[in-house]
Amino acid sequence: MIRHHPGDELLLACAAGTLAAGEAIVLGAHLEGCAQCRASVRLFEAAGGTMLEAIEPALMLPEALASTLATIDRIPAPVARPAKVPLRRPSLPPGVKWPRSLAHCAASRWRWMGPGMRWSRIRVPHDPAAKLFLLRIGAGKSLAKHTHRGRELTHVMCGSFHDGRALFGAGDFDAADESVRHQPVLESDGECICLASVQSPLVFDGMIARWVGSLVGI
Amino acid sequence: MPTSDELIELVNAVALRSDRGAFSALFKHFAPRIKAYLMRSGMAPELAEELAQDTMVNVWRKAASFDSERAQVSTWIFTIARNLRVDHFRRAHLPAAADDRSAALGADDLDPLTLAVHDAPGPEEEMIAGRREAAVRNALRQLAPEQRQILWMSFYDEQSQTRISDELDIPLGTVKSRVRLAATHLRRLLQGIES
Repeated sequence: MIRHHPGDELLLACAAGTLAAGEAIVLGAHLEGCAQCRASVRLFEAAGGTMLEAIEPALMLPEALASTLATIDRIPAPVARPAKVPLRRPSLPPGVKWPRSLAHCAASRWRWMGPGMRWSRIRVPHDPAAKLFLLRIGAGKSLAKHTHRGRELTHVMCGSFHDGRALFGAGDFDAADESVRHQPVLESDGECICLASVQSPLVFDGMIARWVGSLVGI
Repeated sequence: MPTSDELIELVNAVALRSDRGAFSALFKHFAPRIKAYLMRSGMAPELAEELAQDTMVNVWRKAASFDSERAQVSTWIFTIARNLRVDHFRRAHLPAAADDRSAALGADDLDPLTLAVHDAPGPEEEMIAGRREAAVRNALRQLAPEQRQILWMSFYDEQSQTRISDELDIPLGTVKSRVRLAATHLRRLLQGIES
C-alpha cells in the first residue's frame, strides 16, 4: 500500500521532460509500482499533446518533407542489438527487484558508512554527473538528524522508516528540500533500501561525509 | 485541421500500408508544430528543424506500435519529440566515449513511463488514455486561465517551475498550488471523480 506520492508539480515536470536524469529515474521507480501516478503523468501528457495543437507552427525548410522521406528510405532493416554486457551491481536482499528505470545503470559495491549502514553509487550512462545512490540501512538503525540543500528525491525499495513526519514503506516516494529537517528511524521489520537523488555534487559528498562522520563521531 | 479520428486513420495507414501520402499529411500537420515546440524550449532553429524531422522519422518507424486506445495521436507524437529532446540535451553533456555507450540506448529508453510500464495499463490509466482530443481540449478550456497558463508554460515556455515563478513574479509555492489545482480540475473533468 503506497502512502506517499510525488506532488503534481513533479509529475508535470516528468511529462514535460524537464526533470534531471537522476530525478527522472527515482520518479520512474515510483511510477513502476503506482498506477495512480502513471495516470497523472498520462493526464499531463494528454494536456501537453493537446496544447501542441494550439502552438503557432514554425516554418519547416522547403525540402524538409523530401529529405525526411529520403531518410525513411535509408532506414536499415532492424538489426539485433549487441548482446548486453551484464551490468555491475551489488546484490539485493532476496525478493527485492531492481527498478526498471535503473535498467541501464551500473552501481558500485556496497560501501560501509557506519554499523549496519551501507551505500552504493549509481552510474547513469546518459548523465555521468547525476547524483544517484542507494542507501541500505539495517533494521532498527537511525540516520543522523539532517536537513537538505536543493531537492532530494527518495523512493523506498524495501523496508520502512519513520522520520518524525510520517511512516514510509516500500513503494513510497518522498521529496525533501531545505524546509525539511528530519531523522529517519528504521522500523524493526527488516532492512530498508532507498533509491535517492540529490541535485548538487557538493551536497552529495557532504551528505555521505556527514553521515559517516556523525556515525563515527567526527 | 484534421480531426483526431482522421489523425488516427493517417497513422494506421502508415502502419499498415507504409502509406507515404498519409505520412506526408502527418508531416505537414505536426512537423511545424514540433519545430515550434523545440524552438520554444530553447533550441536553435537548425537543430529544431533536424529534431523535428527525426521525430517524424520515428513516427514512421513506430507507427505500428501506436495504440489509439492508449493515447491520442498528438500526445503520442509529443512524447516522441519530448524524448528526443531530452536525449539530445543529455548527449550534449557527454564526453564522446560515454556517448558511445549511451548510443546503445534509444531515446525511449530514457522515458520513465516507457521504462516503467511494460504491463497493461491500469483502469485509471485507460480512462484517461481513452479520452479523445476533443474531451481534453474541452477540459483545458474549462480551467481557470492562470492554471492553463502554468500548464502551457511548463510544456512550451519557461519550463522550469523556478523560472515560471520568476517570469510571472509569483512565489514558487503559488506555481505549485496552481499545478495542483489544474491537475485536480482536469482529473475531475476527465474522470468524473474527485481526487
